[in-house]
Amino acid sequence: MADGQRSEHESFDRRLVRKSPWIFHFNSGGCNGCDIEFVAALTPLYDVERLGAKLVASPKHADVLVVTGPVTLQVAKSLKLIYDQMPEPKYVVAIGTCACSGGIFSGGYTVLGGVEKVIPVTICVPGCPPNPKEIFRALEAIYKGEIKVAGGGCGEEQNRG
Amino acid sequence: MGRSRIEDKAYTEPHSIVEVASKTLSSYPHLVSVTAVHDEKEKSIELIYTFSDFRGALKNISTRIPEDKKTLPSIASVAPAASIYEQEVSELFGVAFDGNPFTGKRVLLPDCFPNDVHPLLRNVKQEDLEKVVAGCMLGEPQIYVTGSSRYSAESVILLPFGPYHPALKEPERFILVLEGETIVDVIPKIGHVHRGIEKIAEGRTFLQDLFLVERICGICSFIHSWTFTLAVEELLNVKPSKKAEYLRTMIAELERIHSHVLWIGLLGYWTGFESMFMWIWRLREKIMSLLDLLTGNRVHKSFIAFGGVRRDVTDEKLNTVAKTIAEFEKDYKKLIDEIMSYEPLVERIKGIGMYNAEHAIRLGAVGPMIRATGIPYDIRKVEPYGAYDEIDFNVVTGKGGDVFNVTMVRIKEVLESINIIRQCIEKMPRNENPVPKTLVIGVVKEGEAVARTEAPRGELFYYVKAANSRNPHRVKIRTPTLANILLAADMLKGYTLSDVPVIITSIDPCFSCMDRALVVDKNHNSVFFVDFNKLRKENKRIR
Repeated sequence: MADGQRSEHESFDRRLVRKSPWIFHFNSGGCNGCDIEFVAALTPLYDVERLGAKLVASPKHADVLVVTGPVTLQVAKSLKLIYDQMPEPKYVVAIGTCACSGGIFSGGYTVLGGVEKVIPVTICVPGCPPNPKEIFRALEAIYKGEIKVAGGGCGEEQNRG
Repeated sequence: MGRSRIEDKAYTEPHSIVEVASKTLSSYPHLVSVTAVHDEKEKSIELIYTFSDFRGALKNISTRIPEDKKTLPSIASVAPAASIYEQEVSELFGVAFDGNPFTGKRVLLPDCFPNDVHPLLRNVKQEDLEKVVAGCMLGEPQIYVTGSSRYSAESVILLPFGPYHPALKEPERFILVLEGETIVDVIPKIGHVHRGIEKIAEGRTFLQDLFLVERICGICSFIHSWTFTLAVEELLNVKPSKKAEYLRTMIAELERIHSHVLWIGLLGYWTGFESMFMWIWRLREKIMSLLDLLTGNRVHKSFIAFGGVRRDVTDEKLNTVAKTIAEFEKDYKKLIDEIMSYEPLVERIKGIGMYNAEHAIRLGAVGPMIRATGIPYDIRKVEPYGAYDEIDFNVVTGKGGDVFNVTMVRIKEVLESINIIRQCIEKMPRNENPVPKTLVIGVVKEGEAVARTEAPRGELFYYVKAANSRNPHRVKIRTPTLANILLAADMLKGYTLSDVPVIITSIDPCFSCMDRALVVDKNHNSVFFVDFNKLRKENKRIR
């Protein structure tokens, strides 16, 4: 698609994020499995940092919110709070089946479900846990501007997993 | 060994539990767990206190309280480690422990959870719990400051640490009481990752639970499924083949290497030595690729089955493991030499968070934390399971508790694990089939069993009760981090705020800070919550 055809907002996103997607990592009650695979994606073998991605300490500096794990009641408020603090345009990547739909923990008495119950999700990366390569691919899609800010969420198809 | 059927429980009356516990502690100094089991038919709750000595003997003391009068004295006065275990039972079963320091506070369940719902009681239905979850909706985040009225002096600052920090994995909150820069008290608030697994497990079959318990932790996932399997195999009276035992041992040791190496890398991250973090994590990928090769998965292995393992491993693969492990060992030794000769790092962790053996025992510490003080308490040695009784290995101990010693214990344990893996490959019987005929086990006869293993972070304890059904009647899990958390909170006392990250990571949880502050009003002796905007307004007003 040529630049002229793209809407103004879309091309703005693209120009902005193209520079370097800064990431805030949020564990919403996961088992650490996705977390260590996400961190592995940052380290030399997979190296998301070559896209200019960087883990930041404050959501106010972040473009991308990476969420792992099913949302538990206790963290739901914090998740909303952190999402609200991020500047626009913002992307939410739900990593792992639990973050997509609640996964194996659905039905637990402190489990609310997937991330979509609390905040809008841009990309879902299902898997238990997804390979660092898959996580890399999702972040690469954001970097290349292939994903719009208001993404379609997880979708029914993936929720079933 | 490593597992046993509970047959000889010592029954005692609820009112004399403190006396009995204190007598037991003199010969069994380590309190492993406090397990509660609800019996709907007899309308009572059974409490099982499991004690252990440091040579592998277990003692179970049981007491029963009626459903309508759920009170008994707390044993926290004689065994301080009990306070957090009792609190767990009190929130999940509604049992009141007289004299427990946490009484009246929420430690585990979310703040919005109703006080009269105790999710692990058998008569609490899934539909009711779903209603509770639906009713627990988003609101303003709150900070619960427990025990704050004790601290009303002007010089005291309460600093909430947590639950989020960008770099680390688990949300965990510690409320730090500071006098100037020095920490005088720490109040843990855990349970952000409480997913109600014990309740979910009761509603699913044993086979489904095998995959569920594996997902308790992504770092020590195999050891969780192994410990659960040990308990269930005890109930079924099944013994896996020799090759299966060796394969399980090998995977568990690979997992220990990956867990310890991960932690050493994060230590670098926390002490501001990011190159160390990157180097170590690159090295760790070798181990991850081996796990992928052997089990087909990097993190959640799904490798174990009741009565064996799910897939055989060919000789060719074992040769690859031997080769890669040798490469890993060479690189690891070189890297550790380089890192530990870097003085700023060593100075940063030496003499920080000091504690002694007596302290560690009293607070119920396990794993590398207790071994760092010189006590060779390792379940692999004292109560061998898997193939550990046929393998020659040393229990690594330190010279006194501090972050440096804990680090050294973990560094040396990696080398010891490499030694174990090498022996596993050598001694493994090659012509056996480790895969059981069927994975499904069906109905399990009535009985109770406990299993203990040495997870990377320390002693892991499972209690499984079956009642002639496809689902377990009760699964109780006591993880090593819960056992270590009281020690972590205690280690912080007397150190400065800047040491907090290093000390807390030395046991392995995490924390973070957010932009809000607590104000202790000296005159009114009250604590209130100020958010960022209010604080900014106040600031303007003062100017």
